[in-house]
Amino acid sequence: MKRETQNILLVLLGGALLKIALNGTYLRYVKPGQQAWLIGAGAIMVVLAFVSITRDIIAARRPEQVVAEVDDHGHSHGGFQSHSTWLLILPVLAVFLAPPALGEDAVNRAAGRTPPPPSSSQDFSFPALPAGDVIDQRVMDFVERAAWDKSGSLNDRNVRLTGFIVHKDDSTYLARLAIGCCAADAYPVKVKLDGPGLGTLVSDTWVKAVVRYQPGSSTTESRHVPTVTLADIQSVPEPPDPYEY
Amino acid sequence: MTTVAADQEDTHHHPKPRRRLPIGSLEILCVLLVVAVVFQDSLASLLGSELIRTAATRFVAVCVQAIPFLVLGVLISGAIAAFIPASALRKVLPRRQALAVPVAGVAGVALPGCECASVPVSRRLMQQGVAPSVALAFLLAAPAVNPIVLVATAVAFPGNPEMVAGRFFGSLATAIVMGWLWARFGKLEWMAERALRRIPDRDGRSRWLTFVETARHDLVDSGGFLVIGGLTAAILGVVVPASWLDSLSEQIVLSVIVMALLAVILAICSEADAFVAASLSMLPLLPRLVFLVVGPAVDVKLVALQAGTFGKSFAFRFAPATFLVAIACALAAGYLVGV
Repeated sequence: MKRETQNILLVLLGGALLKIALNGTYLRYVKPGQQAWLIGAGAIMVVLAFVSITRDIIAARRPEQVVAEVDDHGHSHGGFQSHSTWLLILPVLAVFLAPPALGEDAVNRAAGRTPPPPSSSQDFSFPALPAGDVIDQRVMDFVERAAWDKSGSLNDRNVRLTGFIVHKDDSTYLARLAIGCCAADAYPVKVKLDGPGLGTLVSDTWVKAVVRYQPGSSTTESRHVPTVTLADIQSVPEPPDPYEY
Repeated sequence: MTTVAADQEDTHHHPKPRRRLPIGSLEILCVLLVVAVVFQDSLASLLGSELIRTAATRFVAVCVQAIPFLVLGVLISGAIAAFIPASALRKVLPRRQALAVPVAGVAGVALPGCECASVPVSRRLMQQGVAPSVALAFLLAAPAVNPIVLVATAVAFPGNPEMVAGRFFGSLATAIVMGWLWARFGKLEWMAERALRRIPDRDGRSRWLTFVETARHDLVDSGGFLVIGGLTAAILGVVVPASWLDSLSEQIVLSVIVMALLAVILAICSEADAFVAASLSMLPLLPRLVFLVVGPAVDVKLVALQAGTFGKSFAFRFAPATFLVAIACALAAGYLVGV
């Protein structure tokens, strides 16, 4: 591959990174903390390419300075390199198409994961929930508390969860994907909804749901997916950062 | 070593004038981009399939997560190529090979870069008169034990610091054992003559240009392999049923072998492979540690790079030996740090 083409690919890829970092799309793929890294990396790629382009232009004006060197060192390596470099166009095209954040498909495809028991406390005692009629919680925290809290602090509490709708077999879930690092390692956290009219909910719609934990439903048999009674549900737009961390 | 990668650069980009098709890579790129714009709708409709949509999101996620690490790595490798002469490294090495091998292995900590970058650097070291066993220890250690890779591993495995320790000791042990093995059994005639021939220093360029050129070259060179890794990880993630890897997780011996082979076939840049290993969360940690130790030491792209740089008869002896040594060292390190 010619230098010019390599440079253009670098500009395209660096530009694509800058674009998703600045317009917020990057949150579909990685954690918020990655934004500065993406801006830095994108800018550096563009700068490297432009320095190289500028040098080529200067060299082209003074052709006598460019010495064609014959050297048997890098040729096998060189051919190897030029082919793999073409693949840089794939992330450019993929970013251009901007695939959406992971949703129902990823939830149903993934293996269930037991929430890790809280390591800090031997007796699994959780801090008291805030007072209030309805409290907001992350799905992750809710599932963890349902699985491990022996004191039953979730019983008889109304909790508002934000997530998207997932249907599997005959059950309906409110789910969220949690990521450790990037969307490639996402694992689902979900609660099974119990209430009337669940079949009419459309998959992948984002909702805020007020739910009440059914005590004893988070067991090894249910793979620690708690069942909740649905008190109220309303559609909301997809939040800017679709994952929990 | 002012121009490690940069002197290859020259050979690539100013080849002997020869007759070739009038269509160059630039034209092909333009056509590809025009096709992509024209058929944007059909491309976008590909995302209508849930399977492809999930795989595409995972692919972009791996790339977006790993590219900043790659950029940081090539900047540092460029800075080293430009500002730290190899002769300085040679001066600090002990005279005795048996001692110099571990020193070179530990020196890999200070010379970060992904495996594609360490191949030309270690060749350069040999050309500057460093013993091959020492240069090979560096070749194996540098991509695996440098701070960028270790930090990436720590980020990918939050809550499992033993993975970082296991990776560090496993990879360092692999490098040292292979260096000693080469010092004891290695034969110079296995190496292509071109790998050992001395190249006169070229000091004509300014250091900043060397820095930019080396960084750019490494980025373009390894970026493509990163994409292969991201694609494979994305496809594996959606195609391999979770239940299949679940069943693998109960057979520790089988999963170690599978992960070691996977590391060779996937050929993921060492700066990104921790994230791929982290995503295979249905497996226990030990097979994933084997994956992280084997990957930077031997994989398909590295074997190809080595065959091109040091000669085929070298690569086809060195790679299988490294594979076995790396698995053994990973298991031993995993056992010691309690993975």
